[in-house]
Order: sequence, then structure tokens, then C-alpha cells
Amino acid sequence: MNPDHALTERGPLAVVRFLGLVLLGALIGGVAALAAVGFVTAVLWLNEILLISPRSRMMFDHPAALIAATLAVPTLGGLLVGLLHRAIPEKRPHTPADVIAAVQTRRGRLPARAGGLSALTAMISLGAGASVGQYGPLVHMGATLGSLGSRLLRLGRSEDNITIACGVAAAISAAFNAPLAGIVFAHEVVLRHYALRAFAPVAAAAIVGYVVATTVLDQGALFHVAETVVPRAWEFMLFVVIGGLGALVAGAYMHAILGVGRLATKLPLPATLRPALAGALLGLTALWVPDILGMGQETLRFATIAGAFGGGELLLILLLKLAATALCLGMGFSGGVFSPALVIGTLFGALCGTLVGQVAGAPPETFVFYAVCGMVAVTAPVIGAPLTTLLIVFELTGSYALTTAALASVTLASPIAAQLFGRSLFDIQLDRRGLDLSAGRGRAVLQATSVASQVTQDCVTLPPETPVSEAIGALGRARHAEAYLVDARGRYRGCVLLHDLEAAQQADGGRRPAADVIDAKRPVLRPGSSLWEAMARLEEVSGEALAVVDDHRDNAFMGVVYEAGIARAHRVQSDTLRREEHGNG
Amino acid sequence: MATVRRRILALALVLLLCAPAPATTADDALVVLSWGGAYERAQREALFEPFTARTGIPVEVQRYDGGLEALRRAVADGEVPWDLIDMTRSDAMAACEEGLLAPLPPDLAAPAPDGTPPARDFLPDAIGRCALTHTVFATVVAYRPEAFPGRRPTAIADLFDQQRFPGPRALQRTPAVNLEWALRSYGVPREELYRLLSTPRGLRLALGRLAELEAIHWWEAGDTPARLLVEGRVVMASGYNGRFFDAMLRDDAPIEILWDGQVQEHEAWAVPRGAARPEAARDLIRFATTTERLAELARRIPYGPARDSAALQVTTHPDTGLDMRLHIPTHPLNAAGAIVKDEDWYAHTQSRLDDYFEAWLATDGCRISLNEPCPSP
Repeated sequence: MNPDHALTERGPLAVVRFLGLVLLGALIGGVAALAAVGFVTAVLWLNEILLISPRSRMMFDHPAALIAATLAVPTLGGLLVGLLHRAIPEKRPHTPADVIAAVQTRRGRLPARAGGLSALTAMISLGAGASVGQYGPLVHMGATLGSLGSRLLRLGRSEDNITIACGVAAAISAAFNAPLAGIVFAHEVVLRHYALRAFAPVAAAAIVGYVVATTVLDQGALFHVAETVVPRAWEFMLFVVIGGLGALVAGAYMHAILGVGRLATKLPLPATLRPALAGALLGLTALWVPDILGMGQETLRFATIAGAFGGGELLLILLLKLAATALCLGMGFSGGVFSPALVIGTLFGALCGTLVGQVAGAPPETFVFYAVCGMVAVTAPVIGAPLTTLLIVFELTGSYALTTAALASVTLASPIAAQLFGRSLFDIQLDRRGLDLSAGRGRAVLQATSVASQVTQDCVTLPPETPVSEAIGALGRARHAEAYLVDARGRYRGCVLLHDLEAAQQADGGRRPAADVIDAKRPVLRPGSSLWEAMARLEEVSGEALAVVDDHRDNAFMGVVYEAGIARAHRVQSDTLRREEHGNG
Repeated sequence: MATVRRRILALALVLLLCAPAPATTADDALVVLSWGGAYERAQREALFEPFTARTGIPVEVQRYDGGLEALRRAVADGEVPWDLIDMTRSDAMAACEEGLLAPLPPDLAAPAPDGTPPARDFLPDAIGRCALTHTVFATVVAYRPEAFPGRRPTAIADLFDQQRFPGPRALQRTPAVNLEWALRSYGVPREELYRLLSTPRGLRLALGRLAELEAIHWWEAGDTPARLLVEGRVVMASGYNGRFFDAMLRDDAPIEILWDGQVQEHEAWAVPRGAARPEAARDLIRFATTTERLAELARRIPYGPARDSAALQVTTHPDTGLDMRLHIPTHPLNAAGAIVKDEDWYAHTQSRLDDYFEAWLATDGCRISLNEPCPSP
């Protein structure tokens, strides 16, 4: 059965199929949540035995050995990560950006091997104290499990997208104890559309993820604020300003990561050894400022307490944490961008709160509002998910006042960052890999679909030396207006048009070779050209088709792609997307 | 540090003096180190006297104020004067790691009356390698209600709020519990306390909060805080919940308990390495941790039994008829804001924390201390 047809199917069978998908979503949610729980537990265990967590460091009473561990653990962890990444085809860890690309281009099918290895290296990175986040790897792991489930059941691309979203929702739901945030994140960041058909399986996955996390993993909330105070009216204005400034911090953070990544490729050091170098530098700095090690949950908590840091201290740790995260991620450690952004944002908000306290005498009771506003102002632009970030604040704190303050902050943060830098770090990374998501999913799908399926040999091909008059005759018999000149070795030599041939015949009787009247402006396509590129090329000419030429095989002529074929493919893709996004099950 | 040593020496001296000479000890008496006061009285009635009645082995109790110094010395000298010690689990864990305790057989505890095996009946982690948890006690804050007309403290942060609740405080002279409460007063969630106290910043914040108090009476013996409250020398005091209960019950003390922030800790039986009568000591442990005996103990002093079957059997106080279930720390109404002491953490950090705390007491702490004058420059 054509899986796309199932999108518009109605009747009892369709209901059964839909319920099956919801059940599959719940199943994937359970598996992804258990995997997330296992991942988090393993990281905590590694942090304990490798003397990364403050608790284990405090309990270990040998200062010299502690210094040695601070230097050796991130370095050796980096080395191991670098070696493992060689086993991934792209030689880099897969991240949520790969999940977004797979769903937005409907390529689907996340590779299980790369996914598993990326999760393993993220676990080692986090366990060894690298300044990276855990939520990115959890999202990717959930997505990979979702895709695997779909593949095992041989479901179509649309179902694959939904099961990927299910895995993502369950991972976020389990990691944050926040099912609503999980559902919204899967829609806002991964699917980027709200279809009733996807909503139910994704919601089922998020709920199962939440139940698993609360029963199996007895973890406290990421942050817990039992706040009863309400900020004064004028403070909301400040929260908006913090949002605007937070967008700039988010931009600096994103570009620092990308910048170090670019710089790393220029280093005279094999890619395998780069994470080890980053680990050594991180360990060295951590001897001086231990707050930059690991995910930084303790730093995050302290930043919400008025007076825990001095103003200068906040700025220093903010800059060092930003640099440490850029160093770790840019040099090839595996991990997410969200947790460090939470820490950096909270430090930024605390800095703003401290300054406001000193200048305007704001009461210390509302200090936590500034910290949380800074947190959402930096994180929402980085992951491109303002609604998810707000929901995380709401579900974790249960405080409506705090969520409203966060809303004020995110109002400016996300749009300003999007205008200045792009929708999210993931989108910027994908753009640099040639996938532009700024114009939406339709274009991304066309960009990701090759013209190969539209290539046909059903066209007029002539040797280049064919006289013009004979070429006219051949075109007339075939009822075509264009012919493609291909030499004896199968190489493409150009395209000739009927009206040019007739003009040439009138001028000199048609004895010249057809190669003399080649349409020099007619572009060609490559076998790997996308439908998007083909459409753009066709805008440049008025003709019926474009030749497909393989320049890797001495300009071999592969066939032609008709304008009508491209238009048809475009319509089919658009229809599928529309049905997927608006179908109700 | 010097103060700690002085205190330890004094304690050792007291123990030495208190310890009856062999001639005065009944030849076959089992020597138990326990905490004195109301607690020891309850243990005598519920555990020791019935044990003697059943086995014929008399039990002699000596006074203990916690810590491991005396035990370390006794084991090192090869002359251990006690057969059984009733100690906090964090001390027991540290002592076990140092080899000061004899390992206990895993099947030492008796099954519940309905046959439930001990592993399922006891609290998680109650059955340790060298110690068996028998009760859960709590360090709580008690206060004089009449000191704060029109309001009463409801959260542990109120301990540090001398504007709304003015008056001197009595706190135990130890980092434990005080650090947790101080950090909790900043709104730090219970689950994160020990992670944050593991950082210099967390310790600094906690001690900073303590330093904001205006007058602290530091206590050491368990019966002091109730006495200070009754005498009106302080208006809020930390202390063991059983002692406060006993003061309220027996002395009609005008005090009330603030359950928020109670720090729950396991109290365990342990046999010191080199004890003269380890077999009889183990018999007493098995007897004292039966469902029936634990329930009887909890009827006399409100410490939570470490096994579910016993918690269900706790009824009324034998003299007053008070429903004791409402007064034990693990009762759901009391346990809502409980902090569970991270005994593993303390087992590894206690001595360094003590040094850090004493150093602070000698400088910043002395300015707020009622019983520790600042050293003259």
C-alpha cells in the first residue's frame, strides 16, 4: 500500500492504522525514555567514579590525585571520543541538526550505527567532564530509536517522521520531567508543523516518557523555584531588555562554537586528537575555575541565589563557560548545546540582576526572576524553540509569575536572534552544510530530492556532426523541438533548438554540422542535482528539458529531465507535505 | 582544630572515668555504648530489660556522645571495653571502612511476624556490612511559641529570620544539619544540598547564613537544647526529636516542634572489632531489631522504626496513652519537608568539615557565639 495514500484514508481501517501508530508512539516513548534514563544514570555514575562531580571530589580526600584527575580525565576522555568518531562515516558525532535535516527533507531513516556511536561518545564526553550538554544527545538517541522502530515495521516516510518525533518528545519529557515541553519541542523544532495525525503518537510518547522518568529515575527537577513573590511592574520592562541583550549573548555563543569548529580544521593536528587537546585545556582551566567542568548544574543553581557570586565573578565564569563549551564542541567532543546555554544564560541573567540590584535597588526576592529570564533569553534562540523553553520553565517551577517573566524576556530574544543570526544553531549548521531551512520545509524537500528519478532517455540525440537539415528532419519525425548532441564516446556536446536549426538552414542550406548552432546558454544538470536546482535552472531558459551530464565520467550524457516532469514532481512533493501537515489521520 | 582535640581528650577522659572498673562490672554483663537520657531510658524498658529477662545476660550501658576517636584508640590498643555500640550510620560507615567494626552476618535480623524477610521489611540500605539500622531519628528545630506572639515558624528558613522571630538560638556545635539548614534557607532544593555543599561556594554561603544570626548558644550534649529552651535562654533550638518530645511529655515543657527541614538519620547497631562478647552482642542486635521490640521502643520514644512491620505496630505511649505515630519523624505529616542525611557523604568528609567548621567558629563564628568568646588579638 502506498504509505502516502494512508494519509488521506478514511474509515474504520484508517482508525485502526492510526491507533496502531499511537500505540507505536507509546512504545517508542517507553524505549526512548528508558534509554534516556540509562544514559543519564551512566553519566552520573561516570562523573562520580571519574571525580568530576563536586560531591565525589569533596569525598575524595587526596588533593594531588584530584589535580591529576582533573587534567587526565577530560584529556583521555577526549582521546577516546576522537578515536570512536573515526568509526562514524562523517567522522563527527550526529546531533539534533541531523534529526531536523532527516525530517525536514523527508529523507528519514536515521542511521542506527552512527546514532549509537554518537550516544556512546556523548556519554563519554559528559562522563569525562567536557563542557557540553546532555539534552542534544538524548534527543538524537530518542530520534534514532524512533526511526529504527519505523524501519523495523517497514513504515513509510511520513510515519518515520512521526516516530522520530515520538522518540524526541519522550527523551525531552523524561529528561526534564516535562511532557508538555516534550510534545512542543518535537513539533516546534523537529516536525515544524502541527498535524493532528502526528500529535497523538507524539503525546503518547511524551506521557510514557514522563511516567518512566518519574517512576524509574528518581531525579530532582533541573531547577526548583518555590517563589511566591511577584515582580514589580517596572521590572517586566527590564525582563524584555534582558531578552534583547540575551539574543546577543546567544549569538556570541553560537558563533563561538562555529568559529572554533572552523579554526579546528586549520590546526596542524589530526581530527582524532583535537578533543584530547580541548580536554587538556579544559582540565587546566578547571584547576583554576572548577565551575566550568561538566554540565554545570551546581553553577546553574548558585546563579539563581542572590549573593552567591560577585558581579565580576559572574562575568568571568560566564565568559569562561562560553569559551569552554565552544572549545569542547568546536574541537569535536560529542554533546549538546542546551545545558551549557542554560548555565551561560542563567549567569547572564544573574549578572543583570546584580547590576539592577546595585543601580536600582531591586529587592533580592526577585533575583531569581532575572536569572531565569537570562536563561530563557539565551537558550530559546540557541535551540530555536521559544515555546518549549517557556514550557520547561512552567513545568519545572509551576510558577505562573516566573513563566510570565520568561515570556517577557523571550519576546525579544528569539526574533532578534533570528534576524541577526538565524533561527537556531542547528539551522545555521545545516545551512553551512548546504541545507537552507529558512524558506521552510517545501524548499528543503526540493533541495534534498535528486533529479535522478525524473531522468529519461526519451529524447532526440544526434551525433554532433549531423548536418542541420538532417537534424531538422529527425526532430520533425520525433515531434520534438530540441535535440541533444552526443558524440561517439557518449559525451554530451550541447543542445540544439529547432528554431536555430531552421534559421541556419535558411542561411546556408543546412549542410553545416548541427554542432555549429549549439545553444550556448542552455545549462545542464548533474546526476546529483536537486529538484530545487533544476527548477532554478529552468527559470533561466525557455525550453522543454535540461540535459543531465556526469562530469565525473568525462561529461557522459545521462538523459534529460523535462520541465513537465519537474513540475509534476514538485506538485507531488507539495501535495504529500500538505497532506502530512494538514491530514487529520 | 586544637579545640576539637581538647574536646576529644576531655571526652576520652570522661569515658575513662565513667567506665566502671572491671571489679564493679557484673562478670557476664554485656557492655553497650548508648546516648543516655530519655533515649537510654526507653531502650532499657523496651530492649535491655526484656533481653536480660529472656537470656539472663545483664546489660550495662555506658554514655556515648558520638564520634570515633575513642573507638579508634580502643581498637588500636587492643582493649575494647564495649560489646555493642548504638551509633549513627554515617559514623558506622566510616568506622567500617577503617576496620573498627566487626562485619555482621547478612541474615542477622529476624523476619517479620508474617514471615516477610528482613531485606524486604527494613528500609532500603538499612542492612549494612557492619551495622544494622534500627531506627530513624531526626534533628529538628523546637521553639517557644510564646516568644513570637501572633505568628509561628513554619519553614526552616524561619530559624535564620531574626527580624520576624527575634531571640537567641541554640545550635549543635557541628557542621552537620546546620549547613543543610543554612543552604535550605536560600531556597536550595533538598535533593541538591549535598552537591552544593561539596563546593567551596556552597560551604561559604551556608556559613555566611549562620554568621548572620545574632546570638547562638552552641550545644554538645543531647539534653542541653531542651533545657535551654525550658529555661528561656534561647527561643529556638536544634535537637533530637525524641529529646524534645520527652521534655514536652515529662516536664510539660512549653515548646513546639517545627518539622520542616528535619534532618533524618539512621541509628544503627554495630559490634566493635575486638569486642569481648561478640556472640552475645549479635544476639542482642537480633532481639532488639525484632518487629515487636522496635514497636515497643517507638512507643516510649518517638523514633521511626527501621522496618515497615514495626512502624505499623506502633501504638500509644504506655504511661500517657498518647498516639506515638503522630510524633515519629517518618510519619507522612512530619516527613513532608524532611532532609535525608547523606551519610555516605558525611562518612567521607566529617573530619575535614569539622576542621573547617571549627576554624570558622574560631573567627567569624565567635562573633555570634554566646559560649565562645573571640580570641583577643
